[in-house]
Amino acid sequence: MTVCARMRRDLGLALLLLLSAAVESDGMSPPGKPVFLGCRSPEKETFTCWWEPGSGGGLPTTHRLYYEREKLEGTHECPDYHSAGKNSCFFDKDHTSIWVDYYLTVVASNALGNATSGHFKMDVMEIVKPNAPENVTLQVMKREDNPYLHVRWEHPHNTDTKSGWVTIKYELRVKHRNNNEWKEYTSGTQTQFNLYNINPGEMYVVQVRCRLDHGSWSEWSNSTSVKTFNYPQNDKPFWILVSALSTVPFLTAMCILVIKRKYVKKVLLPPVPGPKIRGIDVQLLKRGRSEDVSNALIINQGFPSVPAWKDEIEDYLIVSDDVLLPDPHRKKKSLTVAAGFHLNLEIQCKESLGQRDWEKAEERKNGIDTFPPQLPTQKQLCPNVTFVHAEATDQRWPIHDAAAESTVQLLAPTGYVDIQRHKSMQEEADGNEMDYTRVNDGNILILQKDKFPGCMDVQRQEENIPEDYSRVKEVDGDNKVLLQRQSFSADSSCGEKGTPYTDCTNKKPINPHVPGPSKVELIGSGYVDTIY
Amino acid sequence: MLVYMELSMRAGTAPICPYGQAGCHVPTLADLFDRVIQQSSRMHGISSDLHSQFEQYFLPSKNLIGKRKCHTYGILTPDDKENAQRLGREQLTEVILRLLGAWGDPLSQFYQSMSRDQNQDFNHYSSNKAMEISDMVHELRDGVAKMAEKMKLSGVLDNTVSYVSPESFVPFSTVSYYKRGELNPMDHHDLLHCFRRDSNKVKNYLRILKCTTLPGLDC
Repeated sequence: MTVCARMRRDLGLALLLLLSAAVESDGMSPPGKPVFLGCRSPEKETFTCWWEPGSGGGLPTTHRLYYEREKLEGTHECPDYHSAGKNSCFFDKDHTSIWVDYYLTVVASNALGNATSGHFKMDVMEIVKPNAPENVTLQVMKREDNPYLHVRWEHPHNTDTKSGWVTIKYELRVKHRNNNEWKEYTSGTQTQFNLYNINPGEMYVVQVRCRLDHGSWSEWSNSTSVKTFNYPQNDKPFWILVSALSTVPFLTAMCILVIKRKYVKKVLLPPVPGPKIRGIDVQLLKRGRSEDVSNALIINQGFPSVPAWKDEIEDYLIVSDDVLLPDPHRKKKSLTVAAGFHLNLEIQCKESLGQRDWEKAEERKNGIDTFPPQLPTQKQLCPNVTFVHAEATDQRWPIHDAAAESTVQLLAPTGYVDIQRHKSMQEEADGNEMDYTRVNDGNILILQKDKFPGCMDVQRQEENIPEDYSRVKEVDGDNKVLLQRQSFSADSSCGEKGTPYTDCTNKKPINPHVPGPSKVELIGSGYVDTIY
Repeated sequence: MLVYMELSMRAGTAPICPYGQAGCHVPTLADLFDRVIQQSSRMHGISSDLHSQFEQYFLPSKNLIGKRKCHTYGILTPDDKENAQRLGREQLTEVILRLLGAWGDPLSQFYQSMSRDQNQDFNHYSSNKAMEISDMVHELRDGVAKMAEKMKLSGVLDNTVSYVSPESFVPFSTVSYYKRGELNPMDHHDLLHCFRRDSNKVKNYLRILKCTTLPGLDC
């Protein structure tokens, strides 16, 4: 070949290449591979298949569907490309067989080439999906107090329910208009349903769907809604009238109650009687003033009221050795009994003395308990009477009960009380052993506090007698007390252990002996301290 | 008779007295139809469940070209509604009986094979189902036979229907295929696919039979 020819050939080739390149750059190519979308049979008698074309390729493309079938020879083409729309194939009754496998392919072809989709195998039995039920109607049925919703519908028009070829089952769902929660119900094969759990005055929305045999469920039908009635209106005026009429007597009754509230209160809430202790006025006690308390607690049986111990200015007994000095005006120290607790010995002998009384006595921190006991005429009525200081706790009582040996001879107000001390003068830890006697206007109240178990040591007692104290021997008249002369050594008592009462030094732990005109010291030993 | 009574007990109705003893409720043809249709529907449901279970464990064979053959392919069955209606009651009854008869043995083998196989996780549930459908297919066959007898007695059915042994209609090779012994899982899958299809046929045919024999509200 000449160079010119070669060059011409090369030029031709180049042109050809350019042309093909030009053609490709315009987008023309064989079609893309189509893809099957699926098939569906709405009534188990016909079916339709759809596919998706591949990339266009730029040239007009035709698609063809071919199928092979079990129990059928050869390859066949789709009988109907148009009834079901674009890119679909519709198989009518003559071309549809159930319980056999179909093998489908779609071929896309244009001027430049073909493209084939993969085989798609299907059995009509498996692709059954009916249309939604039709003509769904809702009705509110009135039934006295129980209205209900009556739902009615029809089977999809293309399904044959008469021959028994298919069995349709239905499902419906209900919700309130504004709610998003559906409630589902199964209706079986019936084309109607009653809904009983509805509320008045609400808007209800209902949808129905169906399926054939064991196939797929259809789409839900269009929503149908209905509004239920409110509560009947004609009852309302009646109730308004009733309520209006009933308010008038109601208001009247309320007014009366308010006006007569005190009376009502008395009737409804009768005052509860409080506990009563004979001789004690609760009100006075509540007030808490010491004079009042002491006044309250004394039953006036001839006793004048007893003022508080501390504030009391006593009538003094005239005391002299063996001689009654009828000098009622001479003020002497006398035994005073602290604020009077009236004690009913009969009641309280054997048992712990009224707690209340004791509690009241707590006011006096000095621990002076004085009882003006009622003096029975019998002697030794309560041989075991022990009077415990207010500070004494309950634990003391057993001790006292067991131990009390002192005898208290209680005399009539005008008698005298002989205090015989049987017990030692050992003091309790808290040192509240005090015997108090109160002498006032000829009434002697002797209170012997005796907490000590065991016998009293008379001797010790005698030893512990301070110098200043005398023993009361006899009381004479209103203001006279006869003292007993005693001889005691001043020293012996001091050796006693730990008995502040008997401390013969000037230290008197509880009742310091203050010489003076005003006070009568309360002496645990029952001795009268005479102050000159 | 015992199987029939058991069939009726499954359906939950009054006991059957085939001999019409006093105090027994003799079922009507409609009752019998309802019972067998119920039973066949249940049987198809169970076989569908089993089949879909097997599908999970195997490659979905939807697009496989391999065409499997069921051992009952020799039995001619109508493939659509018109053909089934055109077939007539007697032939339809016969087809039903043939189908049911052809599945008795294979399902028993299937159940035995399932219960022997220890590898699979879902075996216990599946073997129960397999036993159930194996029993049901036997009962259903007897039930339909009884119903056919009753139909003959009441003149609904011609006397041409005869209870034929299933083996005569099934190709020997396919039967021996199933009778080979140990069935591997692939065989299980194929078997279930075939049975699912055939039980659906039985259900449909029975319904058509009922609605052509006793047209009523249920159709």
